[in-house]
Amino acid sequence: MTTVTTAVGGVASFLLFFRAVCSLFIGATSFAMSRVELLNPEGLRVDGRRANELRKLSCKLSPLQHADGSAYIEQGNTKVLAVVYGPRETRHRAQVMHDRAYINVEYLVAPFSAGERKKRSKNDKRLLELALAVKQTFDSVVMTTLHPRSQIDIYLQVLQDDGGALQASINAATLALVDAGVPMVDYVCACTGGCVDSQALLDLNHIEESSAETPDLTVAILPRSGKVTLLQMTSRVHSDQFEQMLNLAMEGCRQVHAVLDSSVRDSMQQLADQMTHR
Amino acid sequence: MTSPYAFSAETFKRVQPSEYYRKFLEQDVRPDGRAFSQFRKTILNAGCISTANGSAVVRIGDTTVVCGIKAEVAEPTLDQPAAGYFVPNVELGPLCSAKFRPGPPGDLAQVVSERLRKLSEEYIAFEELCIEPEQAAWVVYADLVCLNHDGNVLDACQLALLAALKNARLPEAQIGEDGIVRAGEAFTRAITIKRPILAATFGLYEGRSLLADPNASEEPLLDSLVTVCVDDAEHLHAVWKSNGGRCSLEQLQRCVELARIRFTELSALLESSAADQ
Repeated sequence: MTTVTTAVGGVASFLLFFRAVCSLFIGATSFAMSRVELLNPEGLRVDGRRANELRKLSCKLSPLQHADGSAYIEQGNTKVLAVVYGPRETRHRAQVMHDRAYINVEYLVAPFSAGERKKRSKNDKRLLELALAVKQTFDSVVMTTLHPRSQIDIYLQVLQDDGGALQASINAATLALVDAGVPMVDYVCACTGGCVDSQALLDLNHIEESSAETPDLTVAILPRSGKVTLLQMTSRVHSDQFEQMLNLAMEGCRQVHAVLDSSVRDSMQQLADQMTHR
Repeated sequence: MTSPYAFSAETFKRVQPSEYYRKFLEQDVRPDGRAFSQFRKTILNAGCISTANGSAVVRIGDTTVVCGIKAEVAEPTLDQPAAGYFVPNVELGPLCSAKFRPGPPGDLAQVVSERLRKLSEEYIAFEELCIEPEQAAWVVYADLVCLNHDGNVLDACQLALLAALKNARLPEAQIGEDGIVRAGEAFTRAITIKRPILAATFGLYEGRSLLADPNASEEPLLDSLVTVCVDDAEHLHAVWKSNGGRCSLEQLQRCVELARIRFTELSALLESSAADQ
């Protein structure tokens, strides 16, 4: 279920302002509010994809030179930049763990990334929840015991959100960690799945994701073992459909893995070429 | 044979940054190979974020800034009942440099935001952002996210902001008799820029050398930073000199002269990026 939170100042003078903003928003996006046909009779979706088709996924390793690792991912119109610093000395002594590294994740959303401008503070509960989900995902995958008493910072910057920002963030974080040379047991590949009229959909865009009657889930797997490291779903759905959605999303994760892996190989090849031609 | 006490250039740079730097300047060149009055390569790409009303990405050397413009309707302020207003916000998060820590915006981010706001008063036609006096006006938010901080963020931010404002399109909005603002579906209205204003920053090293466009490794070594903002009629709009080092009148004049040259370069860049769309 999509939850809509609206911050309204309690002062009466804000009322006019609020009403003006609301009406503008409704006026501009009324077409999105009405029931959109998410899957047409020919089996095509609003953006022309088939049900089991991913959006165009392109990624770039180390776009930023100053960080230890960085990666930029574009999945359709969703654009995410991940930056990794570390393993480095911990910022706070309370975070020092004598047997493993502490992973710190910050999930930052640019105010212009979504349809309506929202300035979110860093302590926004929803962002903290997403950051925690990413942190827990990587806690089990990064070999933290190799870097005791240190900290690995993962900063995720969502620049444009057209649905599936969490999956794109996880994929970008994986690439950035690979770029930083942080030892991991496997890639973490994430993908979303949804369901419209008992037809499972892969990789939801913003319109599909924000539609109230579409259940959606985000799953992250370790492609080699096929184990699930993250699964998020907060919609009511029949268990048969759930299985269908989950299987499709996991299949999507494997496709994502192929793209991530080839981009890592390409970038390593470039690096090797640079080193040998020196 | 090298002495065991000899440093590699990289180690020398880290241990004695100012000495390392001085050795270069004595040869009239900077460590990155630039001449003193040379700016870094500047790239501008407008309209890259489709969720924003207007957007631009600017790279000056490695310094990268993304600017997104979002417009909302709000009640005009009491002292300017027939004008919209403008809210710039610069984010220098921990991802753009290892120097910044997570937390509330630091001093530099706040200073840059305030300077951008001050400059905006000179070039945005605020009265055109009014929908209905005393009732509704556009409030234009500009969020500037720095992705890579390699010195001279102010120049990058001002260029990104101007390009994004030029790129921005608002819907036509009218206020109905019931007091509700209705906006059209088409994003057609541009934000009028009265005159383009661009910034150029220079650093003063030991009161002698004037260095254009200092990068992050140069900034901490400089006595003072001078930012000159000029428009297309060669008028000055702001001159900020920070860090307290001394600076002669000739040096200031030289800064203004170079800022004018820089302005023509950047406005050509703005024109060509606008023509691409």
